[in-house]
Amino acid sequence: MTTFEAGWEAAVSAALDAAVPGSVELGALAYVERLLTALDHDPPRIWAAPGRWDGPLGQPEPGAPAWLELGPWERQAWAQRLAGFREAYERVADGAPTEDDLRMVHHHASEATYGDPAYGGNRGGGGWARIGFPEPLHPPAREGGEGATA
Amino acid sequence: MSDVDCDAVVVGSGPGGATAAEVLTAAGWSVIVLEKGRNHLLSLEAPHEPLRHFANDEIAAHRRFLLGPDPLLEPRTYRRTEADGERLAVGNVNNLPSTVGGGGIHADAKLPRFLEEDFCLRSTRGPVEGASVEDWPLAYDDLEPHYTAVEQLFGVAGDAEANPFAAWRSAPYPLPPGDDMPMAVVTSEAAERAGFHPYRAPTGINSIAADGRPACTDCGYCGGYGCPVQAKSDPIAALQRALRTGRCDLRPESYVTEIVRDASGRRATGVRYLDLREHPEPSVREVRAHHVVLAAGAFETPRLLLRQGLGGDLVGRYLTYHYQTFTVGIFGRDTGGERGRSVTHLHDDLLIDGPGLRAVAREAGLPWVRGGVVEHGAGHMPVEESTTYGPGEHHLPSMRDSALRRRFWVFTMQGEDLPQAANRIDLDPSVTDAWGLPAGRVTYAPHRHELVASAHAGPVHEAILRDAGAQAAFTATSPPQGDLDLHATANPLGIAPASKHVMGTARMGADPTTSVVSPEQRLWDCDNVLVCDSSVFVTSTGYNPTLTLAALAHRASTLLVGGGR
Repeated sequence: MTTFEAGWEAAVSAALDAAVPGSVELGALAYVERLLTALDHDPPRIWAAPGRWDGPLGQPEPGAPAWLELGPWERQAWAQRLAGFREAYERVADGAPTEDDLRMVHHHASEATYGDPAYGGNRGGGGWARIGFPEPLHPPAREGGEGATA
Repeated sequence: MSDVDCDAVVVGSGPGGATAAEVLTAAGWSVIVLEKGRNHLLSLEAPHEPLRHFANDEIAAHRRFLLGPDPLLEPRTYRRTEADGERLAVGNVNNLPSTVGGGGIHADAKLPRFLEEDFCLRSTRGPVEGASVEDWPLAYDDLEPHYTAVEQLFGVAGDAEANPFAAWRSAPYPLPPGDDMPMAVVTSEAAERAGFHPYRAPTGINSIAADGRPACTDCGYCGGYGCPVQAKSDPIAALQRALRTGRCDLRPESYVTEIVRDASGRRATGVRYLDLREHPEPSVREVRAHHVVLAAGAFETPRLLLRQGLGGDLVGRYLTYHYQTFTVGIFGRDTGGERGRSVTHLHDDLLIDGPGLRAVAREAGLPWVRGGVVEHGAGHMPVEESTTYGPGEHHLPSMRDSALRRRFWVFTMQGEDLPQAANRIDLDPSVTDAWGLPAGRVTYAPHRHELVASAHAGPVHEAILRDAGAQAAFTATSPPQGDLDLHATANPLGIAPASKHVMGTARMGADPTTSVVSPEQRLWDCDNVLVCDSSVFVTSTGYNPTLTLAALAHRASTLLVGGGR
């Protein structure tokens, strides 16, 4: 993990946990790091792919791409968006976040806690378990995190 | 060498464009469909099987713009009236999906027909001051065969006998109704006790395996999501049929920027588009065609016409949504909204003329009042819910208690929105999209009629939900009511209409001085250009628009075929 400079983790973790208590234990920091580095991968790790289904309740086909391809204009938009996120996290780490920055942290902590584990948060579905949310019937590929096939 | 590339070029691949493509290719015409968005729906190679890019994934669908458009690329702007200045907000304003399949991808596919009266409201109810209530240039009877045809095409699941207010029909629904959401049965019984007539919603979702696609699995990720198993038929069924004729060429990432015309200016010879597969300088390409079919939706179709001064002075005007009234019941137990098709039951009673609504109108000094179809449903997005609760120690208890997910049930009234000339889409004077074209701008404020209808519906529905067992009930609206100036400063997008039902910006009519398209949906000033989306609606009615816009596209395309190439 190279996204956060030394010393960032503590401040960002504190902000994430302040927004959604318990989010860091469920992987919120990893979620944010994967988001900020999403374009370092090909395909970018923006949209987890469900793969191909053999039937209505089947499983993803082995070897299917774990992430959906972005179009070139979508890459442009995400590069712009992620640059904005990175600047906001710098302010968080520096102890000088704006209201918008804190709103972003709240949203990311929510995504990390209650979104699909493929994105690096909600470790083991623990976020869903703690609120009694049922596992999805048709999740995106669970192998979509670190080491995913392209 | 032919002087055209195809008989018809269709702009947009949503329910309107897909239906038009199906009709035209079935008649032997060659068609090119240009879609601005990406393709996540079906293979472009025969036999055009689903791509299966969709999953039960709130992050992709709702947080990361999988279905498009990305507001950083395609911003829209919003203001209530001209008094707000050039704009109040820039961003996601009523964004329908920009992807192959268009709005049909994200909808939960409720497909009711309109009533007979919906086509002749001016005649049956009369005018309303400050609004432009007009009759449509066609009657329900004219459209009925096309309603039947698109119900067959989409494989609509429903019970033809269930709704006592429904218009006559020449054929039953092709599929039986899908599974009921248990809480919808409870709230329907309560609605019946209040004298209402709830019924199982007709939906374009397979209740049984059909048309080569499986039955719905009731996964719960319906409204707002692409279907993981493609049980939603609208619009994949029509696109697949068109493509499988071998006469349809579907081109995603093709952004139409211009309707090309001949020297007279009154005849289209094709369109030009940007090839968005290329970056950062997309090539401009041209498709030459005998006919142009615009099906880009009631936001993008007028935006294209306005850029070229086509269609006359009324293009963009009479924009309508549905004025949405959300009555929320908080129950002491789980409502089961995490599984099912989001909405399985409806009631129409507040659209039907009767003593109660007449009294409401009389008291408000209005000639009449109509509400809208009421959807019995729920949502279940935990990420969205989490962003609703504030940070801190109360967050987790709130999520566990889950008043806004596990224990809630909502009546959503899609209230009839009266057309007003001042409500419109136009071109923002300075905001542009990623390709330098002016952004579309919404100017919209509801008529007093909508507020009166909503104010009546809220307490009525709160009482029904309490009777159904709700511990508490409250009502909210979109746009919100009250003093909005604070919101206009702090969160202006929060006061823009949330409704995705966008209609009426290229009105159809029999008189070229008061309409944009003819009864055959041809532009009056360029008659080989058809409009096959909800732009042509004369009134919004109080019903979900998709089936009707598809039926209109079916009718207009059938008439076009009848006239020859």
